[in-house]
Amino acid sequence: MMLSKIKLFIFACFIACSSAFAVIDTISVDVGIAVANTMPIGLVPFNQVGHFEAVSAKPEEVLKRDFELSGRFSVVESPTFKMVTFVRGGAKFYVTGKLEKAEGSKVKLSCYLYATQTKDLMLGEAYTVAQKDVRAALHDFVDKVIKQLWGEFGVASTELAWVSKVDGVKQIVVADYDGYNRRQLTHDTTISMMPAWTKDNSSIIYVSFRNGKAQLFERDLYTSKERRLFADKSQTFSPAVNPKTGEVLFAAIHGNTTTVYLGDPKTGANHKVMFGRASQVSPSWSPFGTEILYTSDRGGSPQIFVMGKDGSDARRVTFMGNYNERASWSPQGDRIVYTSMDGGKMNIYTCAIDGSDIVQLTSNAGNNEHPTWSPDGMLIAFSSDRSGSHQIYIMRKDGTNVTRITNSGDNTAPTWSWYSPERQKQISNQNEGW
Amino acid sequence: MKKILLLTISAAAAFAMVACSKNKPPVNPVVKEEPAAAVSAEDSAAIAKAKADSLEKARLEAERLEAERLEAERARVEKLINELMSDDVYFDFDKSELTEKAKEILTQVGDILLKEPRFVIVVEGHTDARGTEDYNMTLGSKRAMKVKEFLSAYGVANERMETVSYGKEKPKAAGENEEAYAQNRRANFKVNIKK
Repeated sequence: MMLSKIKLFIFACFIACSSAFAVIDTISVDVGIAVANTMPIGLVPFNQVGHFEAVSAKPEEVLKRDFELSGRFSVVESPTFKMVTFVRGGAKFYVTGKLEKAEGSKVKLSCYLYATQTKDLMLGEAYTVAQKDVRAALHDFVDKVIKQLWGEFGVASTELAWVSKVDGVKQIVVADYDGYNRRQLTHDTTISMMPAWTKDNSSIIYVSFRNGKAQLFERDLYTSKERRLFADKSQTFSPAVNPKTGEVLFAAIHGNTTTVYLGDPKTGANHKVMFGRASQVSPSWSPFGTEILYTSDRGGSPQIFVMGKDGSDARRVTFMGNYNERASWSPQGDRIVYTSMDGGKMNIYTCAIDGSDIVQLTSNAGNNEHPTWSPDGMLIAFSSDRSGSHQIYIMRKDGTNVTRITNSGDNTAPTWSWYSPERQKQISNQNEGW
Repeated sequence: MKKILLLTISAAAAFAMVACSKNKPPVNPVVKEEPAAAVSAEDSAAIAKAKADSLEKARLEAERLEAERLEAERARVEKLINELMSDDVYFDFDKSELTEKAKEILTQVGDILLKEPRFVIVVEGHTDARGTEDYNMTLGSKRAMKVKEFLSAYGVANERMETVSYGKEKPKAAGENEEAYAQNRRANFKVNIKK
């Protein structure tokens, strides 16, 4: 499908250019989405002293999954340290550690990163934690390894929110990014959907039908307190949080049209971003919160547009296909991911922000929708019904390495959290240092 | 037309019942006066107060029962009307234009609403399962509005109609086939009787 689209596009370009160029020998298509090759990393099982009831999985299993999910590593396993195995596998570094009893019911988890050739210790971390928190400690170590070897911040300690059907009713749940440690947030008899994280990850903004119509609510994750947002509008949905200022874009229905509004969730003040007769929906912020992606049906079918935060300079981004929706900007700002319907099936695509360089990430596997970027821009989580039921998956941004993270029930519409506030601070300090 | 007849009959029956009950004599038992020869003035005052209290109580209780009965009656008629108006209006894929069949149904609904000014309605717009939740919310709202606009042009006051979009969240038929999709691309009515 995609190939034919590319061909068509190239053909169109050829027609357009043929008058200008007499001869075209080759057309090179620069695929900007290509991910650097993964880095092999050695993994030796932890030395586990004693048996711990509440430690659900072996440390090396958690690390293996984290490394593989990260999109950055391929794991070279060995039951003990074997130079030959690691060197053959290209693993310049390897990880191992120890799990033992600490005071009370706590455990001491020691994690090490070594250089394969010299056996130099590159990184050592010790965690004394409750047994149930071993997984979180291992996530933390993985992020430290990524910092050490990539000079970037990983996402092993981030979270996902999504919509899960409980007794047939859509509820909001949150979980660690790998699908573990899941907590149900809403317990309503009416539908809840479209979760979005506030800037500091402390609350979830979502849509509830408890008043008989779609309305935005904000729920504090720690106090469970709830309040309605933008109550001056009757029907509100599609929330999108500005990663820098915390301002919220949302869609509000008024009569025949749906329009994108920009509001402050603290004061409730809000205003229309752009005037127009066509419907606008599914707003999304650029990484620095200065531009807005949205969907408009002003051409008769949903297409993706971009405009300034003040509603200026609106221009169309997608031109291929007749159903392109729900765009979301990569954290690096270079690409957008969106959902396109073709032949009644939904699939995930990315393109450059000028609409060029379209790459289809999913195909021939049911419906694939709700793409959401990981904060480091390496990964995309999405929901798919390829297994016969709706489940959440994570893939690399080039569409490879697809891993399912939920196994049962009906799970849709994942939304990735931001980096923790401390991490956000570190990143902005680092950027200022440039 | 058949619908209206049915409605008129049922509504008439319901109102007749309400009317009958209103004409009934008061149900409060009449308390006979006791000879007050042997009681002191204080006692008699106390007795009078107690009597007045019990009378008041009985009256309040009767009022409460009456209100309850009227409410039950209103709810029963409301349910009946909702059943009568359970015909949905269907739409084509990604469209909010009214079909001929849809206009036929809406004409009947309009007649009922014009006849019964106490009825207020909520028009719910729905879509099939294809597409995103977000875009389908806008499509649902367009469908509900098209219905409202038609009824408004038919003479039904705008204040009596509210529109709500459910997008693809409340399918009527399960399944991923055209048959189910067609059932789910619809607008339906919730009728409330003004209290």
